[in-house]
Amino acid sequence: MPAVEINRVSFLVLRELRRPIMVLLLVYAFSIIVITYTPGPVIDGKTHHMSIFHAIYFVTYTVTTTGFGEIPGEFSDAQRLVAMVILYVGVIAWLYSIGAIIHLMQNEHFQNALKEHIFINEVNRLSSGFVIICGFGDTGSLLARGLSDNYISGVVIEANPDRIKALALRDYRVAMPGLCADASIPKHLLEAGIRSPNCDAIVTVTNDEEVNLRIAVLARLLNPDLHIIARSKVEVYEEMLASLTDHVAVIDPFKTFADGLMMSIYNPVMYALDQWLVGARGASLKKAVCPPRGAWVICGYGHMGHEIHRVFDEHDIPTVIIDSEINDVDAIPNLINGRPTERTLRRAGVDKAAGIVSATADDGHNLAILVNARTINNSLFSVVRQNLHQNEVAFSAADADIIMQPSLVTARRILFRLIAPMLNELQEYLHERNQEDSEYINRLIEHLSSVVGYKTPHMVTITLTRQDAPALIHYLNVKQVQVTLDDLLRDPRMRDEHLTTLPLVIHSGQESIILPDLSYQVKENDKILLCGRSAAHRLLNASLNNPYTLYYLITGQDQTRSWFLKAVPRLINQIKQTLSGTSRSIQNG
Amino acid sequence: MNFDKVIFGFFIILALTLNFGFFLGEYENPEHHRSYEFFGVIVVNFIATLLKLGDRSQIGAILLASSLVADLQLIAAAVYWGVAVHVNETGLTPEVMSSIVSLSGGALLANIISVIILISDTLMSRR
Repeated sequence: MPAVEINRVSFLVLRELRRPIMVLLLVYAFSIIVITYTPGPVIDGKTHHMSIFHAIYFVTYTVTTTGFGEIPGEFSDAQRLVAMVILYVGVIAWLYSIGAIIHLMQNEHFQNALKEHIFINEVNRLSSGFVIICGFGDTGSLLARGLSDNYISGVVIEANPDRIKALALRDYRVAMPGLCADASIPKHLLEAGIRSPNCDAIVTVTNDEEVNLRIAVLARLLNPDLHIIARSKVEVYEEMLASLTDHVAVIDPFKTFADGLMMSIYNPVMYALDQWLVGARGASLKKAVCPPRGAWVICGYGHMGHEIHRVFDEHDIPTVIIDSEINDVDAIPNLINGRPTERTLRRAGVDKAAGIVSATADDGHNLAILVNARTINNSLFSVVRQNLHQNEVAFSAADADIIMQPSLVTARRILFRLIAPMLNELQEYLHERNQEDSEYINRLIEHLSSVVGYKTPHMVTITLTRQDAPALIHYLNVKQVQVTLDDLLRDPRMRDEHLTTLPLVIHSGQESIILPDLSYQVKENDKILLCGRSAAHRLLNASLNNPYTLYYLITGQDQTRSWFLKAVPRLINQIKQTLSGTSRSIQNG
Repeated sequence: MNFDKVIFGFFIILALTLNFGFFLGEYENPEHHRSYEFFGVIVVNFIATLLKLGDRSQIGAILLASSLVADLQLIAAAVYWGVAVHVNETGLTPEVMSSIVSLSGGALLANIISVIILISDTLMSRR
């Protein structure tokens, strides 16, 4: 496929430049022939003619208007006449050719073809695994930043040329090639490397649900084994996406948030742990956000209002909804039809309510609702939706209890699906355990904070393959030594201590072990999800690659590195043995 | 403390100090640069190279490379010395001596790099 595109660019260049080059060729040939035939000055009764070499030299500097003073010899008047003709014809031919080149360069289609060509080359040059990101809005750019922080490349397809320009100006730690194109056209997905063995996943976060669905279907058809992560905010699309393939994950930021909010009301500790694991801003193991259980006012019955109303309804928390754009007023109980002003807020009972959710699609309205409601009831628990990333400062100043930024929720969820796909299993397991034994989570949090600390942890998935952990695999396969997690997670600077990291999940073959014991014996191709400090993960990575550090970690001894220093004691031993052998034979003899 | 590391560090640092000793002095004056000293520099450098063989880590590779550079420079200087004295029989003129000393200066630089890598690696491991 790429070969065709390369041909297309060179084909365009050749086709457009065919005529100018032909014109130049003819003009040069004509000039050279004419000047050689023109009689030169007469010296010693012999008429001199210019040689072909001199003619080429003369024409070259004349038609490019360089005009060196040095000429092969003095000219006759006939030659001077011809020289003038050559100059004018040649200059016109050059102007025409340069004009044609500039014309080609300015051609929009040519520019697009050239950009596509460069994009394909960039994608082909990506050596490690990459993720295709369709849509570079708020979510796409947050996701790209997160991927870059984890040293994963992204390939971006975005239809808006301004956003692609913005992408080009960002400073990422890894390559992030971008193409301005419609991602729902199969050709562009192929150009983005959807069939490349390095492609790990495709993420669809365009603002158009239809487009997201179309991309997911195309991805399913073009590469059936590829992981697809789709953002969707509409139930119908979610169902259609989910039924596509086993490899699809649908992220609905509002549903995620509503479920989280409910969890934080009924199980604040579990919620705090969840947030801490996914590295939410301000999340700490020490303090849990505890929304109250009283009556709530929901302003704006869009998708977010809908989802929050659903979960509150399921748990029998009384709600009042304020919205002015509902057609079927009777379908929703406790609806106040109108804009959320002070009057409607009072009617909704804000003065007695426990909490308020401002969930309209307009940031200005959301902030206004928050300020209005606070003047009526200062002790309100406030949840506010921030639609645009650029309004960050205003929302921080508003000092709401929970700021819900859909793009951030989506980006973080997707990021963790990509960098720590096993985290989901842990969370599911914890939810199950939590229902059986509510003290379990508290004990786990205590353990986590004693090892990792309260601050947001760094998550990493390490794969014990020949490529990523050569020293360890050599150890396991060649030396046939058993290595436990306890050995690996020791501190290479001080073997008695452990690194500040904790294994959360291990995938070994078909088996998956949650919160493994340190006595677990690692095997080749194991995948381990670790949660800890990034410095510890760097040290671990170094130990997995350096045979000497690994030897020290496992045995506690420094291995002799020098071949010579190893050979000398061996030699001495041999000599000793031979000597004792001979002395014994002498004694025996 | 590790006895291997003592031997290793000893020879690498000795290679540097001997080299420095030979390099020191007026660079044109044969009186300041003795042949026995030079011989010692070469031998210790060879031993240091030998000790560096067999290390499979990245740092080991760089250490070996810097040692090989020092060896190459010293061998060049030795060959030049021998040719000047015994083949061309020009003797140790100021020109010859300055060439030999500048070649050993290059080896000195390679030895300094070796020692810096050795020390920084030891400090990095923090034990």
